[in-house]
Amino acid sequence: MSGTHAALIAVAEGLFEVLPEGPRLIGTRCASCDTIYFPAALSCRNPHCAEKRIESTLLPDRGILLSYTIQRYQPPPLFRMDNWQPYAIGLIDLGAGVEVMGMLTGLPLDTIEIGLALKLVVETLYTDAERGAVTTYKFAPLAAGNMA
Amino acid sequence: MTRPVYVLGAGAHPWGKWPNKSQLQLALDAMTAALQDASLSWPDLQGLVAASSRFEGGMGWGLHANEIVQAVAEQGMACVNVGGACAAGAIAFQAAYAMIASGQYDVVCAIGAERMPKGFIPRPPGSQDDITDSDYLRWVAMGATNPAYWAIEAKRRMHEFGTSDATLAKATVLMRRNATGNRNARFRSETSVDAVLASPMVSDPLHLLEICAVSDGAAAVILGSEKYARRAGKALVEVAGCAAATGQFGDPARRIPTVSSTVRSGVTHTSEVATAVARACTMAGIGPEDIDVLEMADNSAWHILAWPEQFGFYEPGKGDWMLENGKLDIDGDLAINPSGGFLSFGEATTAQAVLQICELTWQLRGQAEGHQVPRARIGMSAVLGLGANGGSVILKA
Repeated sequence: MSGTHAALIAVAEGLFEVLPEGPRLIGTRCASCDTIYFPAALSCRNPHCAEKRIESTLLPDRGILLSYTIQRYQPPPLFRMDNWQPYAIGLIDLGAGVEVMGMLTGLPLDTIEIGLALKLVVETLYTDAERGAVTTYKFAPLAAGNMA
Repeated sequence: MTRPVYVLGAGAHPWGKWPNKSQLQLALDAMTAALQDASLSWPDLQGLVAASSRFEGGMGWGLHANEIVQAVAEQGMACVNVGGACAAGAIAFQAAYAMIASGQYDVVCAIGAERMPKGFIPRPPGSQDDITDSDYLRWVAMGATNPAYWAIEAKRRMHEFGTSDATLAKATVLMRRNATGNRNARFRSETSVDAVLASPMVSDPLHLLEICAVSDGAAAVILGSEKYARRAGKALVEVAGCAAATGQFGDPARRIPTVSSTVRSGVTHTSEVATAVARACTMAGIGPEDIDVLEMADNSAWHILAWPEQFGFYEPGKGDWMLENGKLDIDGDLAINPSGGFLSFGEATTAQAVLQICELTWQLRGQAEGHQVPRARIGMSAVLGLGANGGSVILKA
């Protein structure tokens, strides 16, 4: 199990962690003013927070869809995706004052609705000749996730 | 103590795709037009401030002002090159303004000239390929293009206020109608709601005609002290307000290129621009209700509806009604982008905010041939740039 997880290659290191119970996004929490940032931040951005005592934190793995779009055109080459086809990017309220953007999965494009309950998943985005399967984080419908 | 600053001259190279003209040539054409408009020549100019976070060519990565003077006028003038991404033109204007207001210089030009790459604006070189650069992360993790950010805002607005596809399309229709009379605009034919909605969907709910293209263009504004303004003999156009600002902690905007927002209640959306607008108003001693003409960055149709609300021109959600009822037309209560805006120009990033100020100058002088706002006396510009850069300028006739 853990061997499989360790083999996962992420699109960027330090973005998420895959625990036995599921993936989590890695962020930064300021313990002084109780603010959460994603991805990991160098400092706390709150100008009224003098102490800026930051620590690594894992973000909530469930949230509500605030808005979304469907990308109908292929993005510039820095973005890689096997079998490219239009896909959705959502804006998800994870609570704790953090709203995160990410690809949506497990949802036909014409069924996406603001207010949907979603959970974090990690999926292969493309397979690289040298690195193998490269994964990114996405959000999937909570119900489907429970069944899986 | 500062002293009053006036616009002496404004000049632009029409927007479009100009594969056979170098960026430097575009800049020189705009400079020549501005100098002519001010009845000045190169030896009169004491400083040149260039908006220079550029996409193409040049000396190093942005020594634009130096390149211009080395090409046409080696006379020792002060060259200042400022960044600020798509707001760079406003930041350059702010710097030129301060150089004169301080009393140190009498005649300074602010310029922006740009030749844009095709298609979606890619990531500029030079940053780390890791999570510390959000412009790397947004591409590798989800491929979020700039229109995707505007689309997410637009979709949310539809959910909150019931904004329809047709209303969004009407924002484009208005911009394109305004541009028909403007020889500097790139897209000068009228369009219709049906044609906008029939254009390819780029990023739902935004169609191709509801997002700004990228263009090549250049614009220059020459500023001067009162002595020079009176000597020029034209109708006086004074810089009544002028401000640069950055974002506020807790801003809920989906800020390009970040992949998350840390949101706090009560913080204004797009706070970098809202703060610049508020500062410019305070400096001018006026409120949004005093503005006759607003030239604002309409990167998408959504911006036309949302921005004036965010900056306090009217309450959230009213933009649809304002647009539908002709209140934002050239002869409406608040003329928005009589030039035709980014939707009719296409964005030439660093040059865009300078062009906004040229446009306001022509409007206040009554020289906006083919798209003149009746009795325009006070004009405002508002622009947003990557890195949470906001800029706003208020000109007064």
